[in-house]
Amino acid sequence: MKTLRRILRYVKKNIWLMALSMILAIGASVSALFIPIFIGNAIDSIADVVGKTAGNEPVWSIIREALLKTGILVVISALCQQLMSMLNNKVTYRVVGDIRKEAFDKIQKLPLKYLDAHPAGGIVSNMISDVEQFADGLLLGFSQFFTGVITIVGTLILMLSINVRVALLVLVLTPLSFFVARFISKHTYDMFKLQSETRGEQTTLIDEVIGNEKVVKSFCHEDESIEKFDEINARLKDCSLKAVFYSSLTNPCTRFVNAVVYAVVALAGGFSVINGALSVGMLSTLLCYANQYTKPFNEITGVITELQNALACADRIFAFLDEDIEKDSKVLDDTNNREDEKNIQGHVIIKDVDFSYDPDKPLIEDLNLEVMPGQNVAIVGPTGCGKTTLINLLMRFYDINDGSIVIDGKEIRSMRRHELRSRFGMVLQDTWIKEGTVLENIMIGKEGASREEAIEAAKKVHAHSFIKRLPKGYDTVLDEEGSGLSTGQKQLLCIARVMLMQPPMLILDEATSNIDTRTELMISRAFNKLMENRTSFVVAHRLSTIKNADIILVMKDGHIIEQGDHVSLIAKGGFYKQLYMSQYANI
Amino acid sequence: MKPILLRALEDDENIFVCWSNIEKTPDGCFSCYNTLILLDRVKAFMKRLLEYLKDYKKECVLAPLFKMLEASFELFVPLVIASLIDKGILAGDKSVIIRSFLLLVLLGFIGLTASVTAQFFSAKAAVGFATELRHSLFERLLKLGFPEIDNLGTSAMITRMTSDVNQLQNGVNMFLRLFLRSPFVVFGALIMAFTIDVKSSLIFLVVIIALAIVIFSLMSINVRQVKNVQEKLENVLTATRENLKGVRVIRAFCKEREESKAFKEDNGLLVSALNKAGNISALMNPLTYVMINAAIIILIYVDAISVSKGNMTQGTVVALYNYMSQILVELIKLANLIVLINKTLACSKRVSAVFEITPSQTEGTKETLSNEEAVRFDHVSLTYEGSTEETLTDIDLSIKKGETVGIIGGTGSGKTSLIHLIPRFYDATKGHVLVNGVDVKEQTYESLRKKVGIVMQKAVLFEGSIRSNLIWADENATDEELNKAITDAQAKEVADQKGGLDGKVEPSGRNYSGGQRQRLSIARTLAGKPEILILDDSSSALDYLTDLNLRKAINALPYKPTVIIVSQRSASIMHADKIVVLDDGRIAGIGTHEELLKGCEVYKEIYESQYSEDAG
Repeated sequence: MKTLRRILRYVKKNIWLMALSMILAIGASVSALFIPIFIGNAIDSIADVVGKTAGNEPVWSIIREALLKTGILVVISALCQQLMSMLNNKVTYRVVGDIRKEAFDKIQKLPLKYLDAHPAGGIVSNMISDVEQFADGLLLGFSQFFTGVITIVGTLILMLSINVRVALLVLVLTPLSFFVARFISKHTYDMFKLQSETRGEQTTLIDEVIGNEKVVKSFCHEDESIEKFDEINARLKDCSLKAVFYSSLTNPCTRFVNAVVYAVVALAGGFSVINGALSVGMLSTLLCYANQYTKPFNEITGVITELQNALACADRIFAFLDEDIEKDSKVLDDTNNREDEKNIQGHVIIKDVDFSYDPDKPLIEDLNLEVMPGQNVAIVGPTGCGKTTLINLLMRFYDINDGSIVIDGKEIRSMRRHELRSRFGMVLQDTWIKEGTVLENIMIGKEGASREEAIEAAKKVHAHSFIKRLPKGYDTVLDEEGSGLSTGQKQLLCIARVMLMQPPMLILDEATSNIDTRTELMISRAFNKLMENRTSFVVAHRLSTIKNADIILVMKDGHIIEQGDHVSLIAKGGFYKQLYMSQYANI
Repeated sequence: MKPILLRALEDDENIFVCWSNIEKTPDGCFSCYNTLILLDRVKAFMKRLLEYLKDYKKECVLAPLFKMLEASFELFVPLVIASLIDKGILAGDKSVIIRSFLLLVLLGFIGLTASVTAQFFSAKAAVGFATELRHSLFERLLKLGFPEIDNLGTSAMITRMTSDVNQLQNGVNMFLRLFLRSPFVVFGALIMAFTIDVKSSLIFLVVIIALAIVIFSLMSINVRQVKNVQEKLENVLTATRENLKGVRVIRAFCKEREESKAFKEDNGLLVSALNKAGNISALMNPLTYVMINAAIIILIYVDAISVSKGNMTQGTVVALYNYMSQILVELIKLANLIVLINKTLACSKRVSAVFEITPSQTEGTKETLSNEEAVRFDHVSLTYEGSTEETLTDIDLSIKKGETVGIIGGTGSGKTSLIHLIPRFYDATKGHVLVNGVDVKEQTYESLRKKVGIVMQKAVLFEGSIRSNLIWADENATDEELNKAITDAQAKEVADQKGGLDGKVEPSGRNYSGGQRQRLSIARTLAGKPEILILDDSSSALDYLTDLNLRKAINALPYKPTVIIVSQRSASIMHADKIVVLDDGRIAGIGTHEELLKGCEVYKEIYESQYSEDAG
């Protein structure tokens, strides 16, 4: 119910179009319903034309009039139908567009906590297929449902007005086809389920084996894979045959029921004609109705499943739209905003910070750190020790549970996220390329930067030489994957962005791990230049990058176990030393 | 969205035809529907795929035949009605009416039987066809060599196996059911009309042609529009995926608003494309409705004249009227069938293309014994297919049995390409690669690849258990041996955490982190006790300490394999017996760490970029 009310909100904006569409639906169905009657009239009159070849006999004018009326109704019905479809399309697509836009805007505001926990594929399918199915099922479904009901009711009334007995017979018999269809679909459901499960199982195997064929081949494991595949394939054949065959029974069966209804109408109608209760033309009209009558039933059955489906989709969409978003604190510390850029120095104080992704597994506890403006902080530790967590907290991708982080005298939770984030330049291990030109990709760093500035930044990070060699230089269009560029080149672009941005503070998360060491050497020179007099946080596993840092944080299992500069940490002889020495170990 | 016209096919035939399928393959469209392409596709189907139907010859003949039978009984119905009116009602003969009634029910029942039989045969043929095709295709794909795999691409291969084969199954099914039925009903109605009244049959002829033109041209426009919709949808999809993937970067650069704005534009374009396509396809119903009814009006008027002259009866007019109504539905079905078939043929073309690929490598026959010289590159050059430049140039290198060799170089210097020649993943374009003194081209894959254990850069596990993964290299390995391999690969912690050898592995090893998968895939290779062990940058996800312990363990292996370590890290290879430095596909230096530091500029540069002078 709540979902329905919510849906109505979207429809409300288009309420007049919907109303108009309903009126048109009535117009289209009613005029279509009357057509068999006029044709029946014409056919009736045909019985009387025998021998009256002259076109001006009164019976001919009756025929002409009936046919003319038919023609007019046909045109009206067709026009109404077309207009109705156009209106429905308009409303449906508008709603789809609106919801999609809303969902997209939502993505921009959702906390990382949600996005990290939900695979992108699910969100995309939510936004694309669910929205589509929702709109399709609900709005088009509704209009079909409505038209169907009008047609059924209208047919019934008209049949009753022609001949009560035949009409009642049809009324009693037609639900049969409905039940037959229901019966079959209920019983095929299980087989379809089995089929799609087996198919899913097979697809998983295909993904796995074909997707990693090189590994399979390196172990000469082809035959075993084929064996496994064939076993699933045989099962699939079995359940697929059943599913395909049983589901294909619906139509022959309902058609048979219809044929019986048709025959019954012919029988009962035939007798009525002989008794004089019915004319031949009206019998043909009744036959026509009997034929048509079951169609809306079938449609409505289809629509009902679609409606259920659409509601389920709507639930998912609304659940997504209702997720809590990142909100800026109500109490904003707007002191010295903008007017005094010099205040941005990069003084960071982390005090008594507690944080964990999962309340049951404490991660960072009681973290204290003060970084003076211009200092470089390196974070090291084994894989998975939570190095990036610290960055998540600094950028407020996640909020700390306890304690405080103060940057240049302001608690970060009292800052606008944009204000906070614009102080940092960030380069991550996973490169991110946007669909667009190379230039556009660099310009992400600074809105309204000139082409010259962008090229200048690219030159500084040694990206210029490879960009120059691209087919269209800075105007080469890159796709989402950045295909055509090596990982290192993509990373260089990302670094150029930050170079262009010239942020007061820097965050580099394993930024150079995908670049070979010789290129890295060039980049790190650029980085060093960038890091000069800037507070920076660097996550790296190349210890050479780290050695010159002012503060080294050694993390393990989410805790900072050692803290200090290189010399003092080596002197301490702890984990850092062990880690550091391992690269020189004699083997 | 599901235009009404396709519902006709669906309503009547099978819930399988789904519009979304038709939507998603652009080449199933009419715009490229020219005879040549069609013929080409038919030929491809005949040549490569027809054989998978050969066990179902009987079904392939019987299914359409029974379907035709059903249709012909349907065609009788208007005739029965005509006689019911003329001989029964107008003559006042109740027995005729009762007989007609029974006949109608009987016709319906025969129709039902015929149709059910047909559905069974066509389902059997189609499913059987798909099953066998899938098997052969899978086998075929696994026979491809690495160059062919690269050419085809993984996602294409998966599409061939899944949606293309499903589409083919559906296409065969529909074809068997409809290709005789729909034309039969349309032309049957025409012929029936002809037998009743020649003049009326002319009206039939004209309206059939006119409807055919309208339906087919509307559909061809529609297909083009759908393609347009797809393109716009693709943009929306890309924008969404891109945003999800880059969410941290977008937020870091505060670009949320710009992204929303760009999306709004894409989304707006999609909506208007959808509207356009929707409105055109909406035209189908009213337009054909008007045409068929216009034909009915003319028919009745013309027939009335015939009746007045005594050339026709009232009953036959009703019969003709009924025939007219049947035509429309069948024509629409036919049009849909043609779109479907064209699309199916496009799939069949793609699938047969896979069968057309001839593997570039032929397997040798020799098996080898271990030799003092484990691996030898004899002036080897490699140029990948489709590339103009050499990836490896004149590599001359000998690796002794039991030696540990490090290979180092920048990204793209050819390290991986070089070691991929050893298990013969690729063939050298020039020169020879010898393992145990015998050219790899002369050896059987099985013998060669069991000797050469390679841990690939991309670490993957397969569904099953840790044990089922580890026995890949040696099926008869004992638990003890497996556990040893796990310990050596520094994966003990991982295995313990997941429940030991019976720890569950989900498809593609997705319940393991990258580092965990890497360790287990090292264990998998170690479990095979290879003579030659190759680690291709396998320690990149390991920290220095784990990496060190791994190298220590490998060094202590009792069977003393020849070890080749590829790495970007100096630390991983500096203690090797021999270090090979690659630069741009050429050997820039061979020697020990100390020798290279003195004599090899490239090596020195790499080393110094990772260690500053005051190292140690």
